This record gives sequence, C-alpha cells and structure tokens, in this order.
Amino acid sequence: MNKSNIFLSLLLIFGVAISALAQPEISPERKQAIDSLALEKVKDLGKYISIIGNKDTPFSEANRVIDRALELFADDSQMGVSSLNRTEIEYYGVREYFQRLMALNYDRVKIDWFNIQYISDLVRQPDGRYVGVITVYQRFTGETDDGMKYVDTTKKDITVYVERKQTQIQGRVIGFWDVLLGDIRVTETKPG
Amino acid sequence: MRETIAVAILQLICVFGSAQDIGSYLGDESFMYAETKQVNQFFRRFNSEEDLNGKRLYKGDPNYRSKTFRANYIKMLFDRENKDITEKLKNDFIKDVADGPSPAFLDYYGGRWFAEVDAKFIYNGEPRTVVLFLELEKENLGIKWVINSVYFYPFTKMFFADSTALTKFLHPMSHELDFMNLIKVFNDPNTVEYYFDEDFKPDFKTLFLYEVKQGNLKFETIEKVSFHFFQLNNWYFQLKEFNRQGNNSGWLISSISKIPEDQKGMLLKYIHYEK
Repeated sequence: MNKSNIFLSLLLIFGVAISALAQPEISPERKQAIDSLALEKVKDLGKYISIIGNKDTPFSEANRVIDRALELFADDSQMGVSSLNRTEIEYYGVREYFQRLMALNYDRVKIDWFNIQYISDLVRQPDGRYVGVITVYQRFTGETDDGMKYVDTTKKDITVYVERKQTQIQGRVIGFWDVLLGDIRVTETKPG
Repeated sequence: MRETIAVAILQLICVFGSAQDIGSYLGDESFMYAETKQVNQFFRRFNSEEDLNGKRLYKGDPNYRSKTFRANYIKMLFDRENKDITEKLKNDFIKDVADGPSPAFLDYYGGRWFAEVDAKFIYNGEPRTVVLFLELEKENLGIKWVINSVYFYPFTKMFFADSTALTKFLHPMSHELDFMNLIKVFNDPNTVEYYFDEDFKPDFKTLFLYEVKQGNLKFETIEKVSFHFFQLNNWYFQLKEFNRQGNNSGWLISSISKIPEDQKGMLLKYIHYEK
C-alpha cells in the first residue's frame, strides 16, 4: 500500500464497530471518500500495467509487480476483452492477462491513461457488500525496431467491491471501508 | 449564469459531430466526456443527476434534476443515426417525461426494465445463440440480476411442430386397456407433447438448465447486450451500446415507441419470443 492509500484509508477509518454483513448505508460524503480510495486502486493498477508492459522492466521485476497487482483484485477476477474486429468477449484470468501483456512482441510499449474516469453509484449486493464500476480509458502504443507501430484505445470498466470491515488496533475495534477490484471489461474503442 | 454556460457547452457537445471540432476546448478526452459510458450514466443523465463532468448530484444540489439540463441531456441520449427516431418523436417524449407538470424519472430499483443478452453456447458441438432475459431481484438488503426467461431456437422446433396433431390423443376408453396404447405415444418422441393437457407449455428455462447440467450446452461468450425499458408511462424504449466515433456514442436509445400501457403486455411477449 503506497502513502496515498494509507492516507485515504486512515481518512476512512471510523470508530464504530459494525459486523461485516450489517453493511451501513453509504452517505454521499462517505461515497466520495470511497470513490477516492477506489480510484487510488485503479491508478495503482494503471501504474502496474505500465511497468509490466514496459520492455525495459526486467523479467523478475515484472513478475514481482504482477504479484503486487494481483493483490488489488478479488479472487477469480477475470478480464473480458473485445476488439473492434471481434466484438465477442474473450476471457482471461487476471494473471494470464498480465503475463500476455508482459510477453507482447514489441520493442517499445507505451501505455497512457486518459485524464477521465467515470464512477458509478454503489449498489448493495445480497451478501451485504457494495459493488460499483469505474470506467477509465487507456491508449496502448507498441513499436518494433523495424518501424511497425500498433496503437489502440481501450475502455476499461472495472468492477469495484466495497466492504465494511473491522480490525483491532491496541485493543480497540475500529471499522473501515475496504476496496477490492473485480472483473474488468476491456473494449477497444474508436477514439475521436 | 453558470447553468446557462453549462447548458451551452452541453449543446456544443450535442451539435458538433466530431471531437476535433471541440478538441481545443476539451482536449483529447472530449468524446469520452460525451460518451454515455455506463448504463448507470444513462440513468443519471436521463434524470439529470450528474454534472457535465460526470460528478454525481444529490438531492439538495440546485442542479439536481434540473429541468433545463434534463431536456438537453435526454436529447443527447438518442442514437442520432437512427432516422426512425424522428425529431417529433423525440420532442414528444421529452415533453412527456421532462417538460410536463409531473416529470417522469427512471428508477434503477423501480422494475419494469430488463436486459436481453445474446450468449454463444456450444450445443451438441455446434455454436448456437441462446437469448437470456435478466431482471433485477431484491434479496436481503441487496439486489442482484437473475435470469428470468430463456429463448433457444432449437427448443422451439421440438414442440408442436406436427401438422397431423388432430389424430394425436389417447382415446377416452384407454383406461379399460390399462393404457396399453401409451406405447404408441412414446414410439414417436416428436409428438409426445400432443398427449399432454391443454395448459401444457414447454418451459424453456428448465430445458435450458437440463441441457446445461447434462453438459450438452456449454457457455462460450457474450455476443450482444441490450436493455428494454417499460418503466415510463405510455413509452417503451430500447437501450444499446454504440461503439463508434464522435460524441453520439455509448449507451443510447436505439428505438422508442409511444405505446399505451394496456398494450405493453403484447410487446413484452413479442420481445420474449412468445406467441
């Protein structure tokens, strides 16, 4: 967890102990704080993707970053990918997706994120957790030494699970909101 | 004044066909701002519950459900390439839901809207499309999507496809023969259903589940998704995602009809492939 995450988590910590299933209603102010935390996780994911995709990243380092990136996700999360030519969804496990990204046959890979994100409402699931979707856009550029260049823009709809949890610090039970990423739908878009 | 400026910007986004035209103002991301990126955003824009940057507006905010914003937002939410959606139809709709004395809003939790999903399965070794209809169902304090109807073309060919149906019955004295004539019923599996009671209606959901559990139907992928809205009085519309260039993209109203409430049942049956 980086510094900003710790800071945001601390912001979200409250002294009321509530069981995990009895999830409280989320006020607009609380929603904003949770959105910020979720966005931090999405930004972390963006950073990890850039490192994994970067050809200058040594193999061992890329694998270490993949492990870190996987910590952001709930178990069994998948990537569902479609392109302009193939609109049907192709499924990958998150680890497999990262490994494919790492193995791409370009000499230079650049991953840029557009400065826009859209955050849905949070909706309560039957198990008491909340779920939302954050949409972000990414531009991928891959170049080979012989001048071949591939560019695409993708829309990423990222599932976000939000759960009220509690922990004990120095004998005191404190509640906090935890955010995990889930399935990601990746759609190639036509920019402009 | 701020509201007027915001509406003017919104109109600019509506009017200009390409992102290049307003590229200098919004930068590279202009089409992304304009795009209705999620169904959630469609609800918010339709109800005028978010600002131009996509920031959620809550009750108490002066712009929450603003009448001025709404008419412009809703105009943005039509597929402009569909010429069947005429300006008059759009204006009638907007007048009904946004301009009248009692405006109508979409409610995510309000029911009377559902998803239609074309999913590719492998059926006996061949790729086939199964149409799944899903709706939201409350459970505990939460909510979830459930499959409430299934359409699969091969199932329709299994039932009541025999033109000699009139001769298919067990005569009324069969009981005196210990129903020995049942052998004739089951000798021809293609016509067994004619020997069932008149209320019998094949249940595709159960058939579908049976085939899945038997391993005869294997899920492959999602092909298409759309949503049907019956929530607004005397109106029906369909929502589809348009992945294309320009500012009229994302989740948009792909078709719309003014339809009296008492005729919506027929349309529902039609959508569900029921006779």
